[in-house]
Formats: sequence, structure tokens, C-alpha cells
Amino acid sequence: MARWLDEHGFEPGETLSAARACELAYAWWSDRLSPDWRPHTREQNQSILDGLGLTGPFWRLT
Amino acid sequence: MDERDLALRNRIYAQLVELGRVPTVAETGAEPAALRRLHDEHALVLEPDGSGIRMLHPFAGVPTPYRVRAAGRNWFANCVWDAFGIPAALGVDGHVSATCLDCGEQLEVDVAGGRPEPAELAAHFLLPARRWWRDIVFT
Repeated sequence: MARWLDEHGFEPGETLSAARACELAYAWWSDRLSPDWRPHTREQNQSILDGLGLTGPFWRLT
Repeated sequence: MDERDLALRNRIYAQLVELGRVPTVAETGAEPAALRRLHDEHALVLEPDGSGIRMLHPFAGVPTPYRVRAAGRNWFANCVWDAFGIPAALGVDGHVSATCLDCGEQLEVDVAGGRPEPAELAAHFLLPARRWWRDIVFT
């Protein structure tokens, strides 16, 4: 990963396990096809991240 | 988002499920201005010239390295996060095929009951959350 970042001139971001990324996907996208779907507010999305322990400046939406 | 735009958005997602792919602009039957409003509200992502729907999150409207088999269909996702999001959105188990950007290895991941197998693979999030929508295609 470090080599790929270096080759492309990117600063490192955050790495999650596939299990954790999947957990985030289910929390974020599960309602997307529901007929009752309403746009998530920024606060709702931040709450999803916070609820999964994705805290700290990297995971702040603002 | 007003009720009219919400109804359009829901119709486009229903088309996605029916067609097994992101619909074309023509298939939506929507006015360009209405699609632009949905784009501005982050309900979908248009191509820069408005000629197509690039993203109907978590689904991709163009071929990508992130392929998902779910609900008897083959889908494209925008990234690994979205690839896991497709079984989540469809409410089914699925299978994700992708290529490791670092080593080029072909990755095959089953998603069952909301859990990936193998689970020890890594997903890298390059940009901080506050920058995700600055250039969503790059993100």
C-alpha cells in the first residue's frame, strides 16, 4: 500500500479491514432502495461514522 | 429535495433494479434540469456534459474494476465501499470481484449476511471525509 501511495504521489489516508468497510457500507447504503428513503443529513452521516468508531479529523464531514 | 425530485429519484432507482443497470438519461424520461437538480443534491452524479448518469450510489453507470454479482445480476460499483454497498442496498448476499490497486492481484470476496469472506483484506480510503464530494469521481 505504501509503495502504491508513493508511486502515485498520494498522502496516506485511512485503511480499514474489509470487514469494517463492509460494516460501513451496510450502515451507509442499506436504505438506498427503500421507497421511504429520504436524503441523509450531514448529521446523520456523521452519526453513522461516529457509531462505527470512525472518529478523528479524517472522518469528519466538515 | 422537494417531493417532485424525490419521486423522480425513486423512479430512477426503481429503473435501476428493473433494468439491472443504471438507466440512460433518455430512459429516465426526465428533463435535463431535473437531473441537474438531483446531481446538485448529490442524489446522483451526472457526466460533466449531462449526457449520462455516472453514479447512482452505490452503483456505477460506467464499467469499473469493482464488479458485483448480486440478485442474479452483474453490477459495477464506484469503489470497494460501494461494492459492499450493492448487496446492502439490494438486501441480498453477493460476490465482489476487484483488482488490488497495489499488487494487481485478483480479489474475490463473498458477502453473506453483511460480512465479507475473506475478512482480512484491506480497504484504503484515500481522501478525508470532508473532501469526498469535492471531486466524487476521483474519490
